[in-house]
Amino acid sequence: MNAPDRDWRRVGGVVEAPRGVGVRMPLVDGVEKVNGTARYTADLPAQGALVGKILRSPYAHAELLEVDVRDALALPGVIGIITGEHCDVPYGVIPIAQNEFPLARGRLRYIGEPVAAVAAIDEATANAALAAIRLKVRELPAYFEAADARKSDAVLLHDNKKGNLEREVHHEFGDSAAGFAAADLIREETFECAEIHHAMMEPNAALASWDAERGHLTLWSVTQVPYYVHTSLAQCMKLDPAYIRVIKPFVGGGFGHRVETLNFEIIAALLAREARGTVRLLQTREEAFLTHRGRPQSHIRMKLGLTRDGRMTACQAEVVQRGGGYGGYGIVSILYAGALLNGLYDIPAVKYDGYRVYTNTPPCGAMRGHGTVNVRFAFESLLDTMAAELGLDAFAVRRRNLLSAPTETINGLKIMSYGLPECLDWVEQASGWRDRASRSGGDGPIKRGIGIACSHFVSGSAKPVHFTGQPHATIALRVDFDGAITILTGAADIGQGSSTVVTQVVAEVLGVEHRRLRVVAADSALTPKDNGSYSSRVTFMVGNAAADAARKLKALLVTAAAKRLQVSEAEVDWFGEAAAVVGNASRQIPFHDIVEEALVDVGMLTVKGLFTCPVEFQGGKQRGGAVGSTMGFSYAAQAVEVSVDTELGKVTVEKVWSAIDCGFAINPMAVEGQVQGAIWMGMGQAMSEETVYENGRHKAASLLEYRVPTIVESPDIEVHIVESMDPNGPFGAKEASEGPLAGVMSAIAAAIEDAVGTRIRALPFTPDRVFDAIHRQPRPGASAPAAEQGAAR
Amino acid sequence: MSALPDFRLLRPASARDAILLRGAHPASRFIAGGTDLLPNMRRGLVDAEVLIELAGIAELRELQDRGDALRIGAGVTLATLAGDPGVRARLPALAQAALAVAGPTHRHAATLGGNLCLDTRCQYYNQSEDWRRGNSYCLKRIGDTCRVAPKSKRCYAAFSGDIAPALLALDAEAEILGPSDVRRAPLAELYRDDGMAALALGADELLLAVTVPLTSNRVSGYEKLRVRGAIDFPLAGVAVALARDGNAIGKLRIACTGVSSRPELVAGLDALVGRPLDDDALAAIERGVRRAIQPMETTTVSVPYRRRATPVLAKRLVRRLWDEGG
Repeated sequence: MNAPDRDWRRVGGVVEAPRGVGVRMPLVDGVEKVNGTARYTADLPAQGALVGKILRSPYAHAELLEVDVRDALALPGVIGIITGEHCDVPYGVIPIAQNEFPLARGRLRYIGEPVAAVAAIDEATANAALAAIRLKVRELPAYFEAADARKSDAVLLHDNKKGNLEREVHHEFGDSAAGFAAADLIREETFECAEIHHAMMEPNAALASWDAERGHLTLWSVTQVPYYVHTSLAQCMKLDPAYIRVIKPFVGGGFGHRVETLNFEIIAALLAREARGTVRLLQTREEAFLTHRGRPQSHIRMKLGLTRDGRMTACQAEVVQRGGGYGGYGIVSILYAGALLNGLYDIPAVKYDGYRVYTNTPPCGAMRGHGTVNVRFAFESLLDTMAAELGLDAFAVRRRNLLSAPTETINGLKIMSYGLPECLDWVEQASGWRDRASRSGGDGPIKRGIGIACSHFVSGSAKPVHFTGQPHATIALRVDFDGAITILTGAADIGQGSSTVVTQVVAEVLGVEHRRLRVVAADSALTPKDNGSYSSRVTFMVGNAAADAARKLKALLVTAAAKRLQVSEAEVDWFGEAAAVVGNASRQIPFHDIVEEALVDVGMLTVKGLFTCPVEFQGGKQRGGAVGSTMGFSYAAQAVEVSVDTELGKVTVEKVWSAIDCGFAINPMAVEGQVQGAIWMGMGQAMSEETVYENGRHKAASLLEYRVPTIVESPDIEVHIVESMDPNGPFGAKEASEGPLAGVMSAIAAAIEDAVGTRIRALPFTPDRVFDAIHRQPRPGASAPAAEQGAAR
Repeated sequence: MSALPDFRLLRPASARDAILLRGAHPASRFIAGGTDLLPNMRRGLVDAEVLIELAGIAELRELQDRGDALRIGAGVTLATLAGDPGVRARLPALAQAALAVAGPTHRHAATLGGNLCLDTRCQYYNQSEDWRRGNSYCLKRIGDTCRVAPKSKRCYAAFSGDIAPALLALDAEAEILGPSDVRRAPLAELYRDDGMAALALGADELLLAVTVPLTSNRVSGYEKLRVRGAIDFPLAGVAVALARDGNAIGKLRIACTGVSSRPELVAGLDALVGRPLDDDALAAIERGVRRAIQPMETTTVSVPYRRRATPVLAKRLVRRLWDEGG
């Protein structure tokens, strides 16, 4: 497409194959995925493995009085059964909010919560055993909407959480009262966002092997963060982490579903220990929906003040998230929703009130664009409405409020690079925005329209969730007699391309060919710990660590080359695959000679690269100042053109133009893929995706009823890469995958309004909702059927 | 989805043998493409110890042009129907309906007979065993209450095949092989308005083929309402066959799917014959469609929407065909 094409360096007069950063190349592990040789967790050979199965709660809320497994255990072929009694240690991704057990203890809080698990010789036996387990419960009142759970007489899901509030947040930065007083126009609207799920392609699976002789556990799983899984296993199994090995095979997507340790991973390990063998635990798609951790249903009240010429004076937001039965990532979600109101535009004052509510539904968690997506939908939508009221152009009002890097936001977020102006310029030009009047509307029942929106996202949380004092990223390079360079990284490639990025970074610094490089990733017995694939941290942090490691290795090799060439290091001309004396290319030695020299006396080389976000980037000192802190934000602007069938309420996304400031595109092809994926995922949330609970029972827990867009719905997405060259990113790079998502819903809403004159403030824009909006003209923000569907029939 | 339960697979070489096997094994089912049956078996919706595979029966796969009619074997795949030049040219409603089913891989395996004999669907029925047990089941299977109409004595699961309305509109005839003989009946007689037993086929009967008259100067089409442009079953589907006689309606047949327990042929349209397609006629069509359909909460998409959108589909399609036929 239109990403930069760069010239390849010439070495020794020969044009090299593409290898370094900035190179458009397929992912290093792409071929295996396409030709089917990639082994995912469910594909791993494990002869004689037992079949693991989980019994799940049919009750939305109940006291669990007894789990009787005696009949089940007596069945021939049943090797082991575990219940809540087998693990009395809670776990959870936030160290201060761990309130979930791998198998329920004492209380059942949502339909689908694991209660017991069976290891048996085959699936039929395991199913028979599950059917033979008897539960004795006392049912409790259950709450499926945040408002019901917050009522004063509601039974508490967790005894220490009054009002069923997991966390309230009240933050104010700047003086919002003064800001609103200075405004010429103040508007307030409510927005409803349905709960959504990641719908990653690979279903959940874990393979656990217990070595009864040594008391060692090996777990293969679909995780995004093997390190969390490792520590959770140690904690819940009361086992020294030294006796545990966690391996992440190929993983088919995560999008946040797998950033927490998930119950089935611990259950597989507990089952393997109980059965003293190997257990394969494969989960159905329905079970993935019940394990969930998706983006919560959000009720948002957004208020904004603008001057007559469109300058923002203050923003006030109230966000209520329906969190589900357990904490999970909830505290971070509700904090991020407030903090990330900042960092995109220059807003002098922001007041935020957030409420994370416990309900009897599957736990929500992190999902691509964590925290920011729903508030961005509300903010951009309201901004459009107010701009129109003031007679301002959608681009103009956004340009009126741009930041200027380097700067710091009112909540202490540092912004070192800011390519949003260039993103807006390209989108305005490419989409033909100025000629849109000639394309909008239409005579027949099909109307066309165009809308825009902006968004941003962090390039890694500057403060890790688990504080250890250790570097934020560690990577190792290993070189031995064979001259191969092995990259050892704990970074979990889940399809986003982290193994490709580290390969390109190492190739760039060392100047060697890709064929010399090999990535070994995410095996705790071999690779350094990594904080994991979350908050878009890997390219920035692991990329920097990889560059650091490569530079250190290069220094060792240059020293060895100097020694072999009998010159000083300054006189070595480094070609990557060879070295020569400066100014005398004929005095050249190949890579193997350099390595041979480097190994003399010391043997195998291992060098370590590190990266840690400097403390000044870890957030301001004020209350709430650390939330959302990052080394750099990605920026995105997009225009969306839609057609609306007014007689059927059907919206079709015809075309998307998306510009991304990712700092620098280490791999433009991968960046484009990530942006297209983000647009597409945002389109799913905008158009058709929603979980549907009836009395807490998930009615759309399949890929047939949970409607992820198909290729038929996928519009042409034109991607433009803006390179703002972040001063701290590896070669200037920032994140590229989450930022472009959050603007999609409001851009589509704006396009629908342009087409039919109605602004829809409830997600998703399914045909029945759009039909109602067009034909009934409901109150702004009025609750659409989404909010009602969870109610009792 | 869970693994398939155990079953025996029998492979008869002729339709006659298939019938005999069906009679000999009470807990048996015919299987062709399996795109409906296998997911249902994985969800515990089918009690079949024996599957009788029809794929090896050559006669079922025949597509015969008889000049004045097309005889389509029940084993002809939907991909074939969607791509066959003759079907596309002369029976566009059928080709369009076939193309509207699921996705390309489904259509490659799925057959005409399978789609006509599709089990009815409901959001309370097409769920896993655990799900249904947790919800105390429903009238269609094991339970005693219809979840979409709790006071009703009948099941309202929706017939959701796309092909049936097209063939109803095109006036097709079904050919059914029984233990003694072949019987022929208008396609409408294959169905009953009962979500639990929508197919009026005996246990030992097999749908062999359908015969569709190749009437000249008839135009036809199929429109399907769904959230996504692929994969989804119809929220509503409408097929129209129209013969235009100058400025008058010569013949008009409209059939709907997804909006009741059987594919519904809209009644009362004969009154429009000889009249122009004016606003009155369109209003009559709208009334006819509204009377014919009875959408219930069988999907998560709202009933009022489906009730209002179905006549829109029908009127649009009629207008388009009117222009085409003129």
